[in-house]
Amino acid sequence: MSTAPATCPFTGAQATPDTVPVHAGTESAVREAPVADWVKIEDLYRDPFPIYQRLRAEAPLHWVPAVNRYMVTSYAACHEIEQDEARFSANERNSLMKRSMGHSMLRKDNPEHQVDRDSYGATLRPGTIKKHWNGIFAQNNEKYLGELLAKGPGADFVWDYAAPYTAENLRLICGFHNATQQDMQRWSQTMIDGTGNYADDPEVWAKAAASSAEVDAAIDQMLPYLAKTPDHSLLSNLASMPIPLEAIRANLKMTIGGGLNEPRDVLATTVWALLQNPEQLQAVRQDPALLPKAFEESVRWVAPIGMYPRETTQELVLEGVRLPAGARLGVVLGAANRDPLVFEDPETFNIFREKKPHLAFGGGVHFCAGTWIARAQVAQVALPAVFEKLPNLRLDPSTASIDAGWVFRGMTKMPVLWD
Amino acid sequence: MPTVTFEQPNGTATDVEVAEGGNIMRAAVTNGIAGIVGECGGQAMCATCHVYVNPEDAASLPELSEDEDEMLDCTTAERTENSRLGCQVSLGGALQSIRVAVPSGQV
Repeated sequence: MSTAPATCPFTGAQATPDTVPVHAGTESAVREAPVADWVKIEDLYRDPFPIYQRLRAEAPLHWVPAVNRYMVTSYAACHEIEQDEARFSANERNSLMKRSMGHSMLRKDNPEHQVDRDSYGATLRPGTIKKHWNGIFAQNNEKYLGELLAKGPGADFVWDYAAPYTAENLRLICGFHNATQQDMQRWSQTMIDGTGNYADDPEVWAKAAASSAEVDAAIDQMLPYLAKTPDHSLLSNLASMPIPLEAIRANLKMTIGGGLNEPRDVLATTVWALLQNPEQLQAVRQDPALLPKAFEESVRWVAPIGMYPRETTQELVLEGVRLPAGARLGVVLGAANRDPLVFEDPETFNIFREKKPHLAFGGGVHFCAGTWIARAQVAQVALPAVFEKLPNLRLDPSTASIDAGWVFRGMTKMPVLWD
Repeated sequence: MPTVTFEQPNGTATDVEVAEGGNIMRAAVTNGIAGIVGECGGQAMCATCHVYVNPEDAASLPELSEDEDEMLDCTTAERTENSRLGCQVSLGGALQSIRVAVPSGQV
């Protein structure tokens, strides 16, 4: 056992909060959920944050017809849901994610969830990251940052760097030695589009099904190979475990959807935010040890997964609002992370703010299994190199960057210049 | 019932009763003890239920697993030889009471 001072490379500097989230409103009279019929999907997609401000100020949760769910926007209510899987089930009925990716651990409750979760073993844990993945991330980063440099100023930070870099990392973490990073990107996007196919567009389902079949075939090919030639990947670990193939397939698809777009988006959003805040940019340039703080503030400010579903198992009262049994909820992390009852001046990106627990990685038994992988590949490997290798990095003033999305939010376009 | 005493950085102490087999993190979160977050619900994945165990109680605790050991390297407050993750220390059997200090920061 080591007794050296904490040497976690992932989280950076110290902080001293000892507060717990404020739970307000439970003692007031029980009311019905207000209806927010003014909320429109296209407005959420463009910029959800003014909508979240208005919703949160009015009630901790609303029935939102356009989304066909109750949207839960207060920190306290989101936190209560995360910590109580008995009343708030992850195993929702008519789940689009189940249809798109199969029934993964993300849509199971315990004890079933834990069996799947344990089957991922040590692959995603800090010890394996330090011993094994960090070196691989550094190699991949050199390669894809090199490709961005070769493309020259005006290249797109997301599509020419962040996407291929995080896709290649995830390819190796999963153990898809029979696929390319481009395959990973296509699989991720098409299956995520299926998960969000509320419009029931048959073309979206066709693309998701095609990717799902490709992933199945790739897994079938890799499992016997990795059983004989083991490595540190998830599939290698699973090859020796008594886990049903159906669960392996669903869990890998969930991991493809949850392990690529999100680190890609955090990487781009963090750089975008820093480039628009000259004082903070100057601070991280002078002291790269601040970059893990910038990462945590970025996922608070714009949670890459902005909403996820839960379903009530019984009639209950949540933060003073009555919900029927079987109510479909959207836990809006993107709103909870900007709750002024918890975060001061919450709409502002500020790496120096008082540190408090944000909900961007979720909480409770479904706490993101890739949290430490994300911190390592983005905050520890990519960000320091970006600011070192791209002198005077800046947004291209001639072509505007675009940030978009609400269930998933990130940069869809980010042309950059450097000297 | 087994009892956990939580000592805050400002010196105040709170006794909390725990069901046989219950862990320190769950006891803290259930009773609203400040300074214990327990983000990951007890999977030794988040390092936000870090406590310093009273040295006199340390000997009666289960050994550190590899998972707990590596996660203790990721705590926000300094790791010491008395550091444990609250979610990995269950009470009951021979361990009927324990005193732990809550660190000044968890995130």
